[in-house]
Amino acid sequence: MDFDWMKIPYAFLTVFIVVNYGFLMGALIQKIGARAGRRHGIPIWQYYLDVIKNYGLRSSITHGVMFYLGPVFRLSGGVGLLLFMPVIYGSYMFSNFSFAGDLILALYFVFFGTLGMALGAGESGHPHAAIGVTRGLQQVSMAELPFAMAVFSVALQYQTLSMTDIVAAQQGGLANWTLFTNPIAVAAAMLAFLGSMMRPPFDVFIAPQEIPIGPPTEYHSSYLALMQTNRAIFPVAKIVIYMNLFFGGAGSWPELFVKVFFLYLFSAFVGVCFPRFRVEQSVRFFLVWGVPLGILSIMVV
Amino acid sequence: MNALYLIAIGLGTAFLLGLLNEQRRDLAYTLTLGALTMMSAISASWLVVFVATGAGAVDIFTAGTRPPFAINLRMGLTEATLTLLINLTGLFAAIHMGEVLLAKGRRAMAVLLIAIMALCGIVLTRDIFNLFVFFELIVIATGGLVLLSDDEHAVSAGFKYLIVSQFISILLLIGIIFGYHATGTLNIDGMAAIGAGGFALAFFLIFIAIVAELKPFPANGWALDIYESAHPGFSAVFSAATGSAALFALDKILAIGGPAWYPVATAIGIVTFVGANLLALPQTNDRRLLGYSSIAQTGLILTVIGQQDILGNQYLFIAGGLLFAHAVAKAGLFWLSDFVAQRELTAWASLKERPLLVFAFVTFAAMLSGLPPFPGFYAKWELVHALAAADRLALLGWILFGALVEAGYLFRWFGYLIKRESDEKVACTAPQVIPVAAAVLAGWALGFVWGDLSGRSNLLLVLPLLFALGFLLIEWAPAWAKNLLAIGGLSFYLLQTWQDYDPLRLIFLVIFTLGGAIIFLASFHAHGRRIGFYPSAMLMFAGLVLLIQATDSFGFFAAWELLTVGSYFLILRGKESEPHALSYIVFSLGGAFLILTAFALANAVSPAPTFEIAALATLAQPVAPWVFLLLALGFMTKTAAIGLHIWLPGAHAEAETDVSPMVSGILLKAGLYGLFVLLMSMGRQSLYGVDLVNMLLWIGALTALLGNLMAIFQEDAKRLLAYSSIGQMGYALFGLALMNHLGWLMALMFVINHYVYKSMLFLSVGGVAKRTGTRAMYRMGGLITLMPLSFIATLIGIIAMSGVPPLSGFGGRWIFYNAIMDAETRLPMVLIFLSGPIAFLYLFRLIHTIFLGQLKDEHRRIKEAPASIVLPQMIYVAILMGVALFPGLILRRVDAYISQFLPDGALNWDGLTITSQYGWWNPVAIMIVVACIFLLIFGWLLFVNRKAQKVKQFNIVFSAERPYRPETTHFAWNFFAPYKKAMGFLVQPFVTRFWGAVTDLLHTAGDLGRRLYNGNGQIYAFHFLAFVVVVFAFKAGL
Repeated sequence: MDFDWMKIPYAFLTVFIVVNYGFLMGALIQKIGARAGRRHGIPIWQYYLDVIKNYGLRSSITHGVMFYLGPVFRLSGGVGLLLFMPVIYGSYMFSNFSFAGDLILALYFVFFGTLGMALGAGESGHPHAAIGVTRGLQQVSMAELPFAMAVFSVALQYQTLSMTDIVAAQQGGLANWTLFTNPIAVAAAMLAFLGSMMRPPFDVFIAPQEIPIGPPTEYHSSYLALMQTNRAIFPVAKIVIYMNLFFGGAGSWPELFVKVFFLYLFSAFVGVCFPRFRVEQSVRFFLVWGVPLGILSIMVV
Repeated sequence: MNALYLIAIGLGTAFLLGLLNEQRRDLAYTLTLGALTMMSAISASWLVVFVATGAGAVDIFTAGTRPPFAINLRMGLTEATLTLLINLTGLFAAIHMGEVLLAKGRRAMAVLLIAIMALCGIVLTRDIFNLFVFFELIVIATGGLVLLSDDEHAVSAGFKYLIVSQFISILLLIGIIFGYHATGTLNIDGMAAIGAGGFALAFFLIFIAIVAELKPFPANGWALDIYESAHPGFSAVFSAATGSAALFALDKILAIGGPAWYPVATAIGIVTFVGANLLALPQTNDRRLLGYSSIAQTGLILTVIGQQDILGNQYLFIAGGLLFAHAVAKAGLFWLSDFVAQRELTAWASLKERPLLVFAFVTFAAMLSGLPPFPGFYAKWELVHALAAADRLALLGWILFGALVEAGYLFRWFGYLIKRESDEKVACTAPQVIPVAAAVLAGWALGFVWGDLSGRSNLLLVLPLLFALGFLLIEWAPAWAKNLLAIGGLSFYLLQTWQDYDPLRLIFLVIFTLGGAIIFLASFHAHGRRIGFYPSAMLMFAGLVLLIQATDSFGFFAAWELLTVGSYFLILRGKESEPHALSYIVFSLGGAFLILTAFALANAVSPAPTFEIAALATLAQPVAPWVFLLLALGFMTKTAAIGLHIWLPGAHAEAETDVSPMVSGILLKAGLYGLFVLLMSMGRQSLYGVDLVNMLLWIGALTALLGNLMAIFQEDAKRLLAYSSIGQMGYALFGLALMNHLGWLMALMFVINHYVYKSMLFLSVGGVAKRTGTRAMYRMGGLITLMPLSFIATLIGIIAMSGVPPLSGFGGRWIFYNAIMDAETRLPMVLIFLSGPIAFLYLFRLIHTIFLGQLKDEHRRIKEAPASIVLPQMIYVAILMGVALFPGLILRRVDAYISQFLPDGALNWDGLTITSQYGWWNPVAIMIVVACIFLLIFGWLLFVNRKAQKVKQFNIVFSAERPYRPETTHFAWNFFAPYKKAMGFLVQPFVTRFWGAVTDLLHTAGDLGRRLYNGNGQIYAFHFLAFVVVVFAFKAGL
């Protein structure tokens, strides 16, 4: 794998596909969630309307340089994460910029946007922004732990840190998926997945039904639009990691759409069934349920 | 000149004084000084002759006939040295007490002369009855001199002393009578030829009487009062000269008893050393503390005397080193105590206005603690090696324990001196200062002599150390000039020596020298002369470079002690750092003693005059794992591994702005260097089936986790960084203990990265603290616009530290993941996995609560940190970027070097992509991709949002109100409260409580011991009786 100028248009194409898919899937999932709550829900194109409206608004407010850059960091994080991964297995062009680094790069690049966003929101001076960030960080620090262990377990299992190689090893039938060859690791990782998808019971840091807390509080117009764009890309990118590591990857875009949808639906499904945890409760939850599973997955692999 | 003149001049002048008119005090005083000078000159001339010619001892026969029919005196090298010590102590005591002696008149002077003469007599005589006579003279003279004091307790102290002394005299006399009865001679050598077998009980009485003159613990209450109440000028004689003479007397009569009595001497000695030091611990009265310390030192030398059977030709070197260090330092301290008006230890703070007196105190304290380059250091080294070689490990342990306690109270005292406040003025006259100055000079001269005699490298001839000490001579110069010189010196050293080292050592050397030079740039912010800073800092750097330079165990250990002492002085400079500096030095010295013991054990099994560090590799069972364990523990005290970490947060946080990065960014690496050397040479070791390297792995992982966890709960920015250092060192230790190629590479990457970003963050936070006047983060906020450069440094620092691509921290994480793929154990990884995200928490807290959020009213006018503090930060930013883009520049050479030890798993550095067995990483590509995406999106935002205007601080809506007070709006205090609820159980201060309990226990033990000394003379007499019985029982083998 190496750099090729043709990869640049393909990278744009990847982002374009994922943004559109992300908008539609996000709205669909939200609609499903609403139906589970006996509400009608939003139209399927609602996210397009929101984003177009927000990009169209002309803001005249900033709280400073970091505030301005926060959403830029956020979206760069999402796009970068997506492009550092081989999205479609077997496709040279859709391996994008994965020549720059392996699985570890993807794992750590997840934090790029988070960090920038946290800093940007912090400069707004709004205490709710900082409270939201701290809650999110605290929860994610423990939620990521079972996932990190599951990744280690999978890397040990396949003796590689290359995502492409991990997907390659899962080809040739359902039984070869990590889900079936290393179920404990997948179980640990899926618990962590719940913790990182910003859905109940682990969504206290955005707490949409109560006082609005978290970075979105102070952002508006095109800042918010950048963040909404990221909300379409980032979960998909994150799910692609899960899909590649545990669910056999995707050989084509339709396969990717289906797998990502069901994985996303899993978190939505859990979300509509359970009430919200406070931060210390979710920390304890992952410590008590996720971590032992993770440890077990490392030990038995 | 005939040595008999020592007696004759002393005695004759004393009689002559009696004939003088009472009013001619000046003349009497001149005569006294003249006599003491003459006596000193005689001793000195003998010493010169013995040293120059190497001649043997000379016997001087009195009454014109040979023993046993007359008394003979012997003058040899030892006697010449000891009498010189005694006479000089007497002379300087007389100079120091000039005013008192002139006020009291000729009688007092005569008594002093008699005392000094008698002490010389004790040293010279070979006749046991004559010895008794001289001891009697001492008792009388001491009684008289104690009364010179104005202290109200002096009379009762003198009286108690006389009572017990008579008791002792009776025992001695009875012993001599029966000894004479059994042997028919009073000559010591004659008795020795016959042996004590035939008159064991009589010899016991002689022995116990002489031992009693040493004031052994616990039968010494009567003597302690003397130290406390006598005039300090005389206490110096009592401590330095009387103690030395009595020790020599004991050495002489042990020749009669023979080796059978050595264990008894050892036992009394070590009990005294440990017991007296413990009792000294809770003391608050300076002179009484010095008294305890004197007794302890005497005990130590008595122990050495008891160990002479294994010391061979090193016996005199060791005993002499300890004795002279003790005598000179103790005399000096007693004389110094005269300049302090109050008797509380804290009252010594009045000395701090006089840098030269502080230097004197430092010299004396270092001599007593056995620190380099003083004689006690060389003696300690040889003693420990001899004890280890003879497998007397329990004794070795007790000696080191006692020494640690002693260093503890001495440095606590020094802390009082430097950090406490005092309104008193130092009152001293020139004649009072002369003896102190002489003692200081003598201390350094003795250091040189002992270094020369040691047969090892003389530390006072080692260039880096001399360079550091040279700063003492230019303390008058302005700080900027000294700073330039320091930077120049460090850079020059690097330029001169860099070719001598392998890549691994070179990296450490560059951090120690060039790294130090960059931090020194920040020191340009200091004005004035900054007295004490440069000698201390350069002492630390000298130790650091010598550590890299060292190839043998002696050089390594000496360097270790030097850097420890230097850094201690540096740390102590912080405003509130007194207790933290103390705990630092105590932990560090404890660690150093473990290292010393390990080297001694290693040298014992592979005897060689110098033990090469590389020879650690040749050690085998059963000693190898113990050496490994001790060395690892020693080094881990420096890297602040969990359990040994409690000194670090305070020490690093309370230090000055430019000192924090030095002790955090640079000094911690000394411990890592030690661990590198250890693991490279010794590899895996197991003890009782426990794999020690595996244990290190766990300790490293636990340290990483708990260090990080404690960091997130700190409100103090520098403390947060300090705890974070603990965690980072845990990572590095973990990497080393993985014992695979990439683990070591990762540890090395941490060495480089941690130096850069921790130095940068400490400077940045230090600059902020300097401007805001606080280190509490919740009192800051919103400083981003006022201190933008500090903010950029912090931002780059936290991105690098958190391991987020594209900066250099990511390289460390990538290597870490590749390294653990090869690891043999998996469980400890869990702790590391957990600690990684926790680092995000404290890093976010650091940058948010200081630079983001709400600006406080009182900070609205503050400016960016001084340029000198910002400049090094910007250099670090550049370095971080460089390392992030081209890690191969440094790492590929080290990678190749590590392959010598661990060939498997090396990285492939072809092109820009770094490839391992499992994955790959291309820093340049990452940087370019991230930059392109970022700029594109940034450009897009600028395009759609080009008219954005900056609004004022309170243009937010919060709970349906527009806030107007930053204090209530800045979310900063108790930042991670939920985490505390969930994980707080992990950060209960168990370790602090444990060490607190240990120190409490020691203090309580000391306090209990003090109840023995109730001031009642009869009780003291009873103590002595009990002591006699116990020693007798011990000797009889009961």
